Amino acid sequence: MSQRLPVSVTVNGEGYEREVEPRRLLSDFLRHDLRLTGTRVGCEHGVCGACTVLLDGEAVRSCLLFAVQADGREVATVEGLATDGSELHPLQRAFHEAHALQCGFCTPGFLMSLLPFLEENPDPDEAEIREALSGNLCRCTGYHNIVEAVARAAAEGRGGDG
Amino acid sequence: MTAEGNGPVGRAALRNEDAGLLTGSAAFVDDVHLPDMLEVAFVRSDFAHARVGGVDLSAAREQPGVVAAFAAADLGDYWAPGPLLVQPPPIEGLEFHARTQVPLVRDKVRHAGEPVAAIVAESRYAAEDAADRVRVDYDPLDAVVDLEAALSDGAPLVHEDLGSNLAARAVQERGDWEAARERADLVIGRRFRYDRGAAAAIENRGIVASWDPERGELEVWDTTQAPIPIRNGLAGMLGLSQSKVRVVAPFIGGGFGPKIMMFYPEEVVVPWISMRLGRPVKWIEDRRENFHATTQEREQIHDAEIALTREGEILGVRDTFLHDTGAYDPYGLTVPINSQCTLLGGYDVPAYRSEFRVVFTNKPIVTPVRGAGRQHGVFVMERLLDLAARELRIGPVEIRRRNYLPPDAFPHDNNIVYQDFAPLVYDSGNYAPALERAVEAIGYLDFVERERRGSEDGGPRRGIGIVSYVEGTGIGPYEGARVRIEPGGRVRLVTGVGTQGQGHFTSFAQIVAEALGVGPEEVEVTTGDTREFDWGTGTFASRATVVAGSACHLAATEVAGKAVDLAAEALDVDPEEMELAGGVARVRSDPSRSIGLGELAVRANPLRGAVKPGEKPGLEAAAYFGPDRGATASGVHACVVEVDPETAAVEILRYLVVHDCGRIINPRIVEGQIQGGVAMGIGNAFYEKLHWDGSGQLRNASFMDYLLPTATDVPAVESDHIETPSPLNPLGTKGVGEAGAIPVAAAFAQAVEDALDLPNLEILEAPLSPHRLWELILDATEREEGG
Amino acid sequence: MRIEGEFTFDGPREEVWELLHDPDVLARALPGTETLERVGENVYAGEMRVGVGPFTAGSYDVEVRLEEQVPPERYTMIVDGRGSLGFARGKAEVELEEEGSNRTRMRYASDLQVGGKVAGVGQRLLDSVGRGMTKQGLEALNEELRARLEGGPGSGEG
Repeated sequence: MSQRLPVSVTVNGEGYEREVEPRRLLSDFLRHDLRLTGTRVGCEHGVCGACTVLLDGEAVRSCLLFAVQADGREVATVEGLATDGSELHPLQRAFHEAHALQCGFCTPGFLMSLLPFLEENPDPDEAEIREALSGNLCRCTGYHNIVEAVARAAAEGRGGDG
Repeated sequence: MTAEGNGPVGRAALRNEDAGLLTGSAAFVDDVHLPDMLEVAFVRSDFAHARVGGVDLSAAREQPGVVAAFAAADLGDYWAPGPLLVQPPPIEGLEFHARTQVPLVRDKVRHAGEPVAAIVAESRYAAEDAADRVRVDYDPLDAVVDLEAALSDGAPLVHEDLGSNLAARAVQERGDWEAARERADLVIGRRFRYDRGAAAAIENRGIVASWDPERGELEVWDTTQAPIPIRNGLAGMLGLSQSKVRVVAPFIGGGFGPKIMMFYPEEVVVPWISMRLGRPVKWIEDRRENFHATTQEREQIHDAEIALTREGEILGVRDTFLHDTGAYDPYGLTVPINSQCTLLGGYDVPAYRSEFRVVFTNKPIVTPVRGAGRQHGVFVMERLLDLAARELRIGPVEIRRRNYLPPDAFPHDNNIVYQDFAPLVYDSGNYAPALERAVEAIGYLDFVERERRGSEDGGPRRGIGIVSYVEGTGIGPYEGARVRIEPGGRVRLVTGVGTQGQGHFTSFAQIVAEALGVGPEEVEVTTGDTREFDWGTGTFASRATVVAGSACHLAATEVAGKAVDLAAEALDVDPEEMELAGGVARVRSDPSRSIGLGELAVRANPLRGAVKPGEKPGLEAAAYFGPDRGATASGVHACVVEVDPETAAVEILRYLVVHDCGRIINPRIVEGQIQGGVAMGIGNAFYEKLHWDGSGQLRNASFMDYLLPTATDVPAVESDHIETPSPLNPLGTKGVGEAGAIPVAAAFAQAVEDALDLPNLEILEAPLSPHRLWELILDATEREEGG
Repeated sequence: MRIEGEFTFDGPREEVWELLHDPDVLARALPGTETLERVGENVYAGEMRVGVGPFTAGSYDVEVRLEEQVPPERYTMIVDGRGSLGFARGKAEVELEEEGSNRTRMRYASDLQVGGKVAGVGQRLLDSVGRGMTKQGLEALNEELRARLEGGPGSGEG
């Protein structure tokens, strides 16, 4: 398993070139090789959603992908959300204001799952929001405040558009 | 001392800790990266019960990237069973046999997943490759899985030297049960089962240890709810002075109980490896390991009886139960004692006889998981009341109303001993108003008269459930806190308890801010780092806000007193005339005369002149708080469900909690605890059950097969508060962390029975599942047709 | 894991009995068997590779002991397989009954404990994998039997 393959990937707009074992998971690559530790790992089998990142704009489970599969592609992680690392993204702000996080471990995965969802559904109803959230597990909040946060962010997003 | 009126305590402040968690910069244990760090993979037994002949690590050591490999024999004198964390309480006639977990298995495996060897390599990948090459000579033994079979003659023995699988036995009694039974118009007895689930925090456990041979210091990052006891224990085991060991519990991705357990084998082995190799070492549990190696709750079997008058007045309760402690019992009797004590609820129960036997089995260790045995007590009592109400035709609400302790009954002594060794005395409470408020808010009467049931022709049917509970929270021994005003005017608060998402950075800040007349955002909070503060126990038993919060209050009050005295002296006014507000100390009658807190901090630490004898420099104080006994929180849960009798699918349409956690520091955080607790309770009532086969193998050790509730399963939880302040602490607060989770299965069972309205349907077990409910419906229907 | 069933071989009982005791035939016929040798009287040992669900095939050291043999009617197999993905152990009872002169009906009932990684994560798939492997193995054995009776390829080996 000492064979290594080159990986060239853009993460949050920045280019990285590394050599990795073919079996290295994208989640481990992001967390431990690039030290972008905001992407969390909760189950290593694609159920909990804590490791969700965007691959070419699509939400994927980074624990189910190999780093080499991201070669030549663009990855977005939670670290890229807040502009200049200070101003919270409207979705992050909505999570803060709605008390939609407790331990915060699963939160980056929720945020990354929700970004493409809100882009496609700028005006979701509660049932649609709950459906969209159902691929991410949260053990602390009971979800309701997350639903509120999404509704809040969606409303703000629409306000911004109009 | 602060300006009257709207201080920070009681306000729904937004959380101080959110920013780092939202941007991903907050550091959890697995985010710790140190130069030259090695990673560990543990070799775990596939067998639940087996003798271990030998462990051959030679092939593993040859693998690329492997630095070292250790089995029990390599630990030498360091190998020792873990400590008994909680001594059994002083109950007369109690029998208790302590058998605690070991760092690595030496002679015999007692549950599947028990660690046998540790492989240390340059990466986790390499360590796991090598772990596959370890050859362990197992001689499999028959496993003990079922609680009753475990106590039968000839059962295989988990600990042979005991001669049986009985770990403990205790009887607690008040009044005369036999006489109550004689006198009763109605006696109802049933067998109740509560099964095992997993706490399943989304963050698994992990530990990073780094030994610095030059300074002789050990640093450890641990996903623990109890960093200070871990520090103290490690120092003792490793022969280091406590000041040379630093344990940090950084951000923790959910605790829920199992992270208070200590010492897990990995917590013992990983620091030792770091010292042995002189390099930083990391171990992060994976999800499959978590299902086997992290502690669980809550299998019990209860045979319980209730004796009542015709009017539904409780005369007495008898309960005999078996409690599964798994392969070891390091946490003593906390869980079964909680079951025993919580059963009494908010009711006047003149006679109570409760006996439990604790049983060793070849399953993972049982220690408290959110609720910590209270679920069982509540489930048994509430179900008995429901059965009695049905029999006596007086309705579930009325039977509870008739049995509540009246508001003038407090303090109420239940004449039995609680988990904190103190008599089970309810300090305060007022139960009927919570029930009436829940009845009103859920529209109970309306529902019963009009909405009930819906379809009569096999379609979905609706039902309502309403139950109550009482919960001992905020027990001792003590916690501490240190508050300091910095020369810049900022306030620093450090406390020993760790935090796992409960919002301590905010609620503690509010408590301190209230005393010092500053905004909570001015208070910088540090928790869970023994270098900053090293007296205390940990976050468990819904106690952090009550106990550590009170210590924060006392420390801040002392600092406030110092600031006021200094300012009064400088302004030449009587201290009584001063108040703290807006970051300054000012004269009440003339607020323009003021001195900033920062300046006072400078004055309190003079470079010339003298600090007066008996005074300490700086605007700083440390304080400790230890309550005599736990504060009694209480509440009522109500829900409306819709059940499809064809598929046994249940949808929770409404869920309501009315609770009394005394004085509320931050309603937003309290509501969050309730919401999250109910979600966990719903999982525990209807989804989450660990399935073991007869040989002790866990059959659903993944999130694909062990189902956690998702956003489509958990409704919005409506909540309402009643505040009956506790007299046991200066804040008047009570714990709330477990309240949401405790009575859910009882409420759920009552509502589902109500919806289905089958004369022979009795839900006597938790968790249910659609499949199990379907079986019960079928069985009840057949019996009806047959009879 | 319990697997029970019946299977009819296209050959006489003595031939079937012999076939079931021939390690080379068994090695060829049983899915995933890499090696199988007789290591003692009525004891066979070898290596199998079996994959379940999310797990790629893992290697198991397998020992099979034959007991309570009543040729050519019945015997019991004691199975003990261990590997990095877990273990499978237990016993299987096999009965052979003549069905006319040229067919043999086998009744089998096995009760296996399966443990380790495979047990915890592949549980939903275990039964179907077990049944599938049994069916596949028996059909392959029947092929061997037919080939042997017809004197075709395969009969010369071993």
